[in-house]
Amino acid sequence: MIEVFLQVLIGGVMLGGLYALVAFGLSLTYGVVHILDFSHGTLLAVIGVISSLLYLAGLNPLWIALILVPCAFAYGGAFYFALLRPLGSRGPFESTVGTVLVTVGALLILSDVTSVLAGATPKNIPIRLGVYIIGDVVIPRMQLAILLATALLTLAIHLVLTRTWFGRAIRAVTQEQVAAQLCGVRSVWLRTMTFAFGAGTVAIAAVLYVLTYPVDPYMGFGLTVKAFTIIILGGIGNLPGALVAGILLGVAEGMTGLYWDTQWAPAISVVLLLVILAVRPQGFARKTA
Amino acid sequence: MNAGRMQFVYGLAVSLVIVGLATMPYFASPYMISFVFTVLIAYTLAQSWDWVAGEMGYINLGHYCFYGVGAYVFSLALASHTTPVLALIWAVLFTAVVAVALAFPLFRLRGDYFAFATLALLPLAEILAYNLSSVTNGADGIMLPAHDVRNLTFMLAVGLSALAFLASVLLDRSRFAYTLRGIRNDELVLETMGGRIQSAKTKILVFSAGFAALAGALQAWQLSYIDPPTVFGLDVALIPIAMALLGGSGLLWGPLVGVLVLAIIQQWLLINLTMLNATVYGAIILFIGRYMPGGILRASWVEKLSMACRQRSNGPATGDAVPGLPGGVHAAAAAISSLPLVPQAVDRQTVVLDCRKVTKAFGGNIAVDALDLRVHQGEIVGLIGGNGSGKTTLFNCISKAFEPTSGGIVLFGKDIRSLRRDQIARIGVGRTYQIPRPFGDLTVDENVAIPLMYQDPHLRPSAALAQARKFLDYVGLSTRTGSLAEGLSLQEKKALELARALACRPKLLLVDEVASGLTPAEVARFTQHIRDMRDELGMTVIWIEHIFSALAQVVDRVVVLDHGRLIADGPLAEIVRDERVIKAYLGSAHAEDDHAGA
Repeated sequence: MIEVFLQVLIGGVMLGGLYALVAFGLSLTYGVVHILDFSHGTLLAVIGVISSLLYLAGLNPLWIALILVPCAFAYGGAFYFALLRPLGSRGPFESTVGTVLVTVGALLILSDVTSVLAGATPKNIPIRLGVYIIGDVVIPRMQLAILLATALLTLAIHLVLTRTWFGRAIRAVTQEQVAAQLCGVRSVWLRTMTFAFGAGTVAIAAVLYVLTYPVDPYMGFGLTVKAFTIIILGGIGNLPGALVAGILLGVAEGMTGLYWDTQWAPAISVVLLLVILAVRPQGFARKTA
Repeated sequence: MNAGRMQFVYGLAVSLVIVGLATMPYFASPYMISFVFTVLIAYTLAQSWDWVAGEMGYINLGHYCFYGVGAYVFSLALASHTTPVLALIWAVLFTAVVAVALAFPLFRLRGDYFAFATLALLPLAEILAYNLSSVTNGADGIMLPAHDVRNLTFMLAVGLSALAFLASVLLDRSRFAYTLRGIRNDELVLETMGGRIQSAKTKILVFSAGFAALAGALQAWQLSYIDPPTVFGLDVALIPIAMALLGGSGLLWGPLVGVLVLAIIQQWLLINLTMLNATVYGAIILFIGRYMPGGILRASWVEKLSMACRQRSNGPATGDAVPGLPGGVHAAAAAISSLPLVPQAVDRQTVVLDCRKVTKAFGGNIAVDALDLRVHQGEIVGLIGGNGSGKTTLFNCISKAFEPTSGGIVLFGKDIRSLRRDQIARIGVGRTYQIPRPFGDLTVDENVAIPLMYQDPHLRPSAALAQARKFLDYVGLSTRTGSLAEGLSLQEKKALELARALACRPKLLLVDEVASGLTPAEVARFTQHIRDMRDELGMTVIWIEHIFSALAQVVDRVVVLDHGRLIADGPLAEIVRDERVIKAYLGSAHAEDDHAGA
């Protein structure tokens, strides 16, 4: 039984790491731009579908990532600049309503176009690298590779946020927008770049995700809910917090499947979110990265 | 007369439409009937959603859950051979219980958090419907006994949406709507004026959930089949909300217009496009959000057509404020005796306010430190001290905006520990805010009418608005009556603060720096106001102010705070000679003030 437990644990950690990657982008855009992008997870689903098609066309996952990350980067920046930025000049109610409509509209379009062009059936990249066997525990090498990639990416994003001017500007705006502007942060440029950066991280997460799990055009919103749960649990703009929260969520889902019933696993994040919000309406950690 | 005739014409038109709809089964095609049925259900959902969102400002993205719960309860009841009427009642009751249970955790949240938490309810409900298969039959869904109920459900849907429209009209004119609009603007201020917000929020959520449940039940009955995705699916769930927003949330005709426009487009797409329906639909939603997030009825070209669709019939509700006369607050024409306030007998021996070792700490920062203060009826007490000395924090403790860390406060002989904020207002405490906090998207007279209605449970909104004008005359805002409060200048907002505090019919008035920033003539008039409140109306006043020359004319005594401690208490003439006061507060500013003030 302990072997099964360990295997589920490792799977949960890996899945949680991927959730955290999805949450990073949402955390940045929500922290910096104060826009909750309902289409965030759907972008992962779409890129995941495209990845699996590119794989069928003969590309290897590394090339796929190298092609798709810049595309996603450009999409994210353009999405903000063309559709969301103009709403900033409206009153608070109109800008809230406007961003909800724009991002929900984008969600519907992304899902529908993808399912028309590529079909609605779940797709993945069926590469299997064999397994490690330690005692009775069987660990797929692919899981370890993804885990490693997630860890490296988290580190890279963390370095970008702490060591570069862009990262410092992002953190400054997250904490105190007006003061950051007074210090010379050009907010439109920064917000556009934040959206671009967020979409870029989603693209990487998408390629990693389809290596183990199938994606379909309509599964994205569930991921958005999970990502939001993670940033509430880990603190908005707090990446280490999001990583811990993501892993907690991944493991909790795995354990629910193990000890109760797999079909209840998706409910965990929602219940967790509601409980956290009811107990601590402002989230747990409010400090920033 | 003219307004009355307009109302009659509107009423007649609406009745004709309802009658026309109700007779549709006798002449329209089955296709038309099922389309109109969809529109009616969508309207009921959009309209009931807008009571919570448009009026109260809480964007409940999980409204569809109530629809789904209603549909499931109704179907389960009907499938177990309950009569349809009883099944409908069960659907409403059960959904109402769910709404009450959800109101507590959900309304602890605001803004995006509330929107997202409610949205997360949808996937949760869907999972529950799938997995509780012993009750809900899981993914197989529930089949209802086969009867031809299309015409019956259609009639009921006409009735339900007519009821939703009627409820909106009545709600719009009710006292309750003002509480909702106050919540939309500033919950804390509404509470300190005597509004009960938690119960109001729960009430409107339950009301809105009830309508959604009936809509769900009728839909299930008409389809005679439901499964989890049809009643909890995300793509379908957001459509009624998009409709309400498209038309114009918070406007009486907004949801109706939005539903008609979007439903017709959707139907056209179904017929003319074989694929990418959702894409075109999504694009429409997206472009509405991008180009007219306030809804069609708020778009500038519609406003130019000056459609008579304003939510509020009295004065301009949105958009441009009436251009005011230059020069801020105007000379008061009205005397204090014109106010509809009842003078109280003054007994100088009665203790109105008794603070006992009141302490308020924010983390390690002690804002108010073991403060003892007694104020007697009919006194005017000046409260002074440097910035950050705890003056406003003390006001916040008295009006219960903050809970003191320790110590007790007794108001009119009642310990306030067991009282809610709104009860403090109701026992006779009125206050102003140092940084004015008017209800920005309401008109100036509505701002004042709200506390008047809380003070008199039988006051109709129209009568309250009429009374409010007297308060506005008194503070010199008579030319700004119908303007939106957010369009006022700072001085006008401060005058509004005072009018609103007076409208709470206070026995104890807490005035927080209303006079700063006024011209000397305005300060003199304001000082006269304060004196009148005591002399003519028998109010007790605590006045936070830095303008010594003004204080000197009316205060009985002055209380000086420094770093949360009371360092002096006595007549102004003594205070200004007190060594500690000079050191802690007056310092060189004392000389300055003599220079500027006297």
